[in-house]
Amino acid sequence: MDFLRGGGQRWRSEKPRRPEHAFLAGRNLFLLQVLIFVLFGILTLQLVRMQVFEVDQYEEKAQNNRLRELQVLPLRGLIYDRNGAPLVQNVANYAAVITAADLPDKNEEEVFARLGEVLKMPPQEIAEKVGEKREDGNPYEAVVIKDELDRDTALILKELTPNLPGVELRVEARRRYPSGDLTSHIVGYVGRIDQEEYASLRPRGYILNDQVGKTGTEADYEDVLRGKPGKELAEVDASGRQLDVLDARAAQPGQSVFLTIDLELQRKATDALREFMGTSDNATAVVMDVHSGEVLAMVSLPAFDNNLFSRAISQQELDDLLSQPGKPLVNHAIAEMYAPGSTFKTITGLAALQEGVARTDTVITSKGYITVANEYDPNVVYYFRDWAALGAMDFYRGVAMSSDVYFYYLSGGKADEGFRGLGEERLARYARSFGLGEPTGIDLPGESPGLVPDARWKEQNWGETWYVGDTYSFGIGQGYLAVTPLQLLNAVATIANGGDLLRPRLLKEIQDDHGNTVATFGPEVRRQVPVNPDYLAVMREAMRQSVDYGVASSAAVPGLTVAGKTGSAEFGEQRADGSYDTHGWFVGFAPFEDPQIAVVVFVQRGGGYQNAAPVAARIFDYYFHQRYVAQPEGSP
Amino acid sequence: MTQWRILRNFDPWIVVSGLVLAFFGALLIYSASRTVYPDGIESLSHPAVRHLVIATLGVVVVFAVAWLDYRTLGQVAPTIYAVALALLAGVLLVGTSVYGSRRWLDAGGLSIQASEVAKLLVIIVLAKFLADRHLEVASLRAFLLSLAIAAVPVALVLAEPDMGTAIIFGAAWLGMVVVAGCRPQHILVFLATLTLSIPFVVLGVMGDYQRERIAVFLNPEADPLGGGFQILQAEISVGSGGIFGKGLIHGTQTQLDYLQTPTRDYIFSVLGEELGLVGALLLFALFAFLLFRGLRAATLARDPFGRLIATGIVIMILFQVFINVAVNIRLLPVTGIPLPFISAGGSSLITLFVALGLLESILLRHRQIDF
Repeated sequence: MDFLRGGGQRWRSEKPRRPEHAFLAGRNLFLLQVLIFVLFGILTLQLVRMQVFEVDQYEEKAQNNRLRELQVLPLRGLIYDRNGAPLVQNVANYAAVITAADLPDKNEEEVFARLGEVLKMPPQEIAEKVGEKREDGNPYEAVVIKDELDRDTALILKELTPNLPGVELRVEARRRYPSGDLTSHIVGYVGRIDQEEYASLRPRGYILNDQVGKTGTEADYEDVLRGKPGKELAEVDASGRQLDVLDARAAQPGQSVFLTIDLELQRKATDALREFMGTSDNATAVVMDVHSGEVLAMVSLPAFDNNLFSRAISQQELDDLLSQPGKPLVNHAIAEMYAPGSTFKTITGLAALQEGVARTDTVITSKGYITVANEYDPNVVYYFRDWAALGAMDFYRGVAMSSDVYFYYLSGGKADEGFRGLGEERLARYARSFGLGEPTGIDLPGESPGLVPDARWKEQNWGETWYVGDTYSFGIGQGYLAVTPLQLLNAVATIANGGDLLRPRLLKEIQDDHGNTVATFGPEVRRQVPVNPDYLAVMREAMRQSVDYGVASSAAVPGLTVAGKTGSAEFGEQRADGSYDTHGWFVGFAPFEDPQIAVVVFVQRGGGYQNAAPVAARIFDYYFHQRYVAQPEGSP
Repeated sequence: MTQWRILRNFDPWIVVSGLVLAFFGALLIYSASRTVYPDGIESLSHPAVRHLVIATLGVVVVFAVAWLDYRTLGQVAPTIYAVALALLAGVLLVGTSVYGSRRWLDAGGLSIQASEVAKLLVIIVLAKFLADRHLEVASLRAFLLSLAIAAVPVALVLAEPDMGTAIIFGAAWLGMVVVAGCRPQHILVFLATLTLSIPFVVLGVMGDYQRERIAVFLNPEADPLGGGFQILQAEISVGSGGIFGKGLIHGTQTQLDYLQTPTRDYIFSVLGEELGLVGALLLFALFAFLLFRGLRAATLARDPFGRLIATGIVIMILFQVFINVAVNIRLLPVTGIPLPFISAGGSSLITLFVALGLLESILLRHRQIDF
């Protein structure tokens, strides 16, 4: 550094000691020329390697950077009732989503913080959700941070998204069910696809955050309603903004489903059921066209609002639904099975007629009970009671008065009087031929098969032999026998239509998104019941008498001939006075002369006469007498 | 006062190649700034326009500097050195930080990148020092003194921290002492010492950010969205360009914003992607041509001072080009060095035209061999 202090003076005072030798510099400059060649040579070699020999590999990487394949979700098809009333609508839902891969390299916390401010949620929660998606190894798929944004928040977010890389306001179709709990068990609901469903549905074009039918028609006709997803090949920049759509295959909207349900009838049936179910935990009513198997109404109470599920339901709301004793999420018409009680006498009676055990003029006297001696010790006598001492009855009166004794004779016989009954094996066979003990095949998920017992079943499941007392119980629809309301309805519809066991169904028609009919659906006969049509006519007449003067008279409708059968099925523990709690049943059809619809009503912890039959009367009355009466403008 | 006849010694190729390079740069800057200026050139503030304006100004600068006798610079060498150190120290004290490194001085609305200017100043000072001792340059004392002159600005630049510029200083010093004729033994001992001290430098002197850069350079895939991002994306850009490139303004990497600072340190990636190997070779040819014109000036210089200035300038440009391109094609770790004449940036471009002016000044006054 001394030259600084010494200034220029000293430099200039230097005297050359040796003559200048330019040759030295020349040689060294030559070295510099070589260096230029060497350095540019190194660069050129690397460039040739990259741009000539490995160009394909780099090109592929550049393409991967640039192009992103996106799923375009189709608009889901709608669901209508038989008259075209919408049971579901597609409405816009605003959701804040984050694509992890598009977040800034640094300062993603800042994005979380600002987004959290807008959405009023803690940034850590956002970070966690994004973190989960990263761990899944799917950073390109957007994760929903918050759903159901109100319009104001959505607008604010839309303004901000250009400054929040990785954040998007997604507008998606959300299902809204205008009839809510009125049709929730039929229509069902859609929800976000869960991990398990995603794993199995992914090959079929489902994406994460996708919606999928979870239950009801939404689940059963998922394939029809969903449509075909489209694809978009988009060009994106380094921060993930979509710049240009290079190629697109449009999504194919889902097709619409027209159900056999009559929304107005559904409403009336619900109102009537609610009125008569009293304090029961649950009740159900189903109406079916006896010729086509079309289900016109299917009510299961208590119901739930399926709109809760199409939004993300909160744990609190879900717990509330699950803790109710009436099990509102369960469709009691198809998913639960109960002893059918006296309504089963219709099938016992038909079996007896067909097998020659009884004729219409078979007279049996009920003293109010029947006795059976113990097989091994004749001194031990069992009593099987009737609900009253009904006196001498022919077949019609036996059904109409619902005499238990009459049907004890037909099912189990009376050995000491030489009356041979059907026996459990034949009873079970006829019960099964009417579709009991197997699912009806209705187009709804979660159907129970019910239970038709026989000796072998009892042996296998209870380790006990079958007694004649079991046959007595079986014959009057008690004991082990269990049916779903829909099975019972379907069996009675078979009696009404002359012997065709149908498959009950909810699907009437499928239309494409332009309203063109794609497919219509007609009756589906599962089989003919092995009963002479004349005997079916006998049973119809017996059921008419039951409503006319018998125990089902509360189902009567002025101006309409209703035929039906009630039942009060005992269940649970015997009470102190020897009686039981009962489930109330009614199953019947109308008009008697030319049967059109059949109705089943079930009221848990109710009576057939007091609770179930009146509901059926309301339904028949509405269907045949009020349906086409003009309503004032604007009323539902 | 210069006589008109010496203008015959003016080398137009130097100015022409500088201008062609700058024009080349303006094209690339235009393409690289389309993400920021999607509507193209609408005003003079567009970086491509700015680049051309400065280059035009640069021609004036060349003539002005050429007219000035470079030898007068030797007389104010201590002042020049003081200015260089003041610039470098100033930037540490009041400089503006960009990408974690202090490199800019704000003066009256102008941002000056101090190290760009200081490079040329230190070369002049070193040239003067070595020229004055060209007879005793083989002595250890002269060697160490020249090393000391270079070491101070290197230390200041390292403190910014700016590894790239430090290497340029070092390379310029090394090249100049070699051309000045110092003993090869001295150089070998020095290089050996340097090599042996590398572990200590890495562990002791180097900042975390530099160690991290080297780690990322060796394995950018370990952090593809973080520090490795620009290394990988630059490599992909150049590689995907192929032989003929994707065409100006048609490079997907460039236009979709995958490159960071595409108008400055990573402008070679833009060239590699859009103009391909052909474009890169054209660029190398232009540079090589300019550098050989510079070496021609060194050969013709009338005195050691002129020769050493020309040598220093050639080495400065050569190493800047090499380091910049090598970083772009993953031969060297990331370090912020602009590509001479091509990268946007006024300080660098003006300094380069001043350097070209010095070469002309040396040529105009070379030993008269008139026939």
